[in-house]
Amino acid sequence: MQPVNLPKKRELYDVFANILVCVFAVANLFPLYWLFTSSLKNSSDVIKMPPDWWPRTFTFANYTEVFRNQPALRWTFNSLYVAGLTTLLVVIASAMAAYAFSKLRFKGRNVIFIVFVSSMMVPKEVMIVPLFRITQDLGLVNSVYGMIWPNVAIAFGVFLLKGFFDSAPDALREAARIDGAGEVRTFLQILLPIVKPGIGALFILNFVQVWNDYLWQLVVGQEKESKTLMVGIATLMQDLNPNFAYKMAGATVAAVPMLLIFILFQGYFTRGISIGAVKE
Amino acid sequence: MRNKRLSTVASFLLIIALLAGCSSNSASSGTDKGADTAASGKKKVEIALWLTPQWKGVFDATEADADYDSFFKYAADKFAKQYDKYDVKVNVQVVAGDQRDELLNVNLNGGTPPDVFFESAFAMGDYAHRGALVPLNDIVDDAAKKDIDQGYWDNVTYGKDIYFYPFSHNPGTFAYNADMLKAAGLESFVGGDNEIKTWTMDEYNQILKGLKENLPKDKYPNAYPMALYALNNQGDTWNLAYLRMFGSKFFDDQGNIAIADEKGIQAAQWLKDIYKAGYTNPGAESVSSNDANAMFQNQQLAISFTNAILFNNAKADMNAGKSPKFDIRLANIPSISGDPLTFTYVVGASVFKSSDATKTEVAKDFVKFFSSDPELVKASKNSIPVRSSVVAELKSQYPLFSAYDANAPHMFSFTGNVPGYSELRQVLYPELQAIYVGEKTPEQAMKDYQTKGNSVIQKARESSVLK
Repeated sequence: MQPVNLPKKRELYDVFANILVCVFAVANLFPLYWLFTSSLKNSSDVIKMPPDWWPRTFTFANYTEVFRNQPALRWTFNSLYVAGLTTLLVVIASAMAAYAFSKLRFKGRNVIFIVFVSSMMVPKEVMIVPLFRITQDLGLVNSVYGMIWPNVAIAFGVFLLKGFFDSAPDALREAARIDGAGEVRTFLQILLPIVKPGIGALFILNFVQVWNDYLWQLVVGQEKESKTLMVGIATLMQDLNPNFAYKMAGATVAAVPMLLIFILFQGYFTRGISIGAVKE
Repeated sequence: MRNKRLSTVASFLLIIALLAGCSSNSASSGTDKGADTAASGKKKVEIALWLTPQWKGVFDATEADADYDSFFKYAADKFAKQYDKYDVKVNVQVVAGDQRDELLNVNLNGGTPPDVFFESAFAMGDYAHRGALVPLNDIVDDAAKKDIDQGYWDNVTYGKDIYFYPFSHNPGTFAYNADMLKAAGLESFVGGDNEIKTWTMDEYNQILKGLKENLPKDKYPNAYPMALYALNNQGDTWNLAYLRMFGSKFFDDQGNIAIADEKGIQAAQWLKDIYKAGYTNPGAESVSSNDANAMFQNQQLAISFTNAILFNNAKADMNAGKSPKFDIRLANIPSISGDPLTFTYVVGASVFKSSDATKTEVAKDFVKFFSSDPELVKASKNSIPVRSSVVAELKSQYPLFSAYDANAPHMFSFTGNVPGYSELRQVLYPELQAIYVGEKTPEQAMKDYQTKGNSVIQKARESSVLK
């Protein structure tokens, strides 16, 4: 009778699968580990053969040099401010627009929505010159607001949140209206709490997108003090500096904030990328 | 409760709007500042100067707080103090070499290019062809023409006009680690301290083989004989030189690429052979010239590319304890004829067209000032001065000036003065990558480079404003 061996086979399969997952996880994490530990070494130790898998002497001199030679703290602040405020504004604008497209009845609603969503197909690079001219005319070049405002009206947020609003029953809105709630109160107190997971997902996805918006931030933040962390660190990488550990420290400074944000909002992030994968 | 919520949202939006409103006060492009009247009574003019990293410090990298913009900040201050036409402020901004074209193109299209750009003329030549630069003939006087050799003026003349004011030049050669050559038993190939050694192709192949086989692994672990890179277009002039090693002229008499001939293919094959033999660093397709330079400074490579500025920077880094100390010397890129292959970058300032005639006037005056002021032109010693007066004054302190001078007859024009050179650079490195990863044979890669490159040149020729 074969079925007796099934649990054992299953167990073996699980062990094998777990080993495989661990191998891939280590392979993926190793560059990060190497980046971080190398940034704590002396330059000559970074290129040593055979390599030191764990730093023999720890030094923070490379980080000191990054922050002393470059306005890296200012860049970090700029990045956090740009990504944070842009995302906040995107969430507010997208939630209101998505609510309107989902729950309000008005003429041409579907056509406007299709036009709106089709703008997602146009890559930003195509619009960069006219966008730059507008930003220039508004006096927002070399200002963090020049990096923020053009990123606020994005169709992706509306598209994402509309799906969440659609899944909330219309009866809830009708009941609220019968109980005397106005449109704003219905939106803020009844439906917004229901789409909270969607807002979380949008927040983290948009934050990552703005944080990594290299090209736009490069052309808008031209002065040293107005650069963001990604652009500033990329410039630092161009420096003709033979100290590998210094460049590793720069790359670590650029990577750490995003890693922390990912760890903090991991749940929302995975939920965001798995939206639509499961039909409920 | 409802009113409370509403007022919270309204307050939040108001704060955001106020924040945005404040931004326009702090916004300053540095490229679009107009003229105003200062308290001194002189009209206030702000111009923007951009540069790619050249040398650190005003005159020397050993100065306190030496940075890439030190010289221009100092020059701008000196200029403003003696300038009687306007009250001038020069905003100096360093842009990374690989960000230059993205930033320039967006700003040109946005109508806000910098007023002055200090860079190697070859990298900016396309902007002259596109009609974005103003001719500088009117600020070049007889004294400058006499002091700067005609060869340099030819290098910065497009059509009939001068578009760059030569400041210094930056000859490209090899740098080698004499200690590593000696350790590999190759003492006989080591040149003098102040010599640019010329090796034959046979000698060079012997050196590579000797380094590969005899370099002591305990002293130089993880080290390779020669630098090879093809990640991007940075440092590609040396790759262009390697393709000339077997005698290819590279450009024909009509200004088209002619590298897919026997000699060009032989050179590409040689590159592939030394790569496969392990005479170079591995992974050339994903190594940049910056990486190679850092590897050389960390003694992972025995021979690498260099120019006068990089060579001086490497020595300064050693003296400052930023990189290991070793005996660094210069050699020429060898060729099958036995003559050295050498080239130079003429470095200087160009002035971008502006709708504001005052800014153009001030930009030109500033360029003339820092390119001819007797004190400021001495900063050209960080590479090689183009002014014979400066060379004469400083050659006793810098013996290599004479060695570079002796190389001059062997110089080749790596751009061929063809239009579209910047875009042409984008075509070469993918073909070299294809050779190194084995995707294409050297012959196929050279044929493809020639076809694509000539198409770029043809298109640029048709759209050039310079006839």
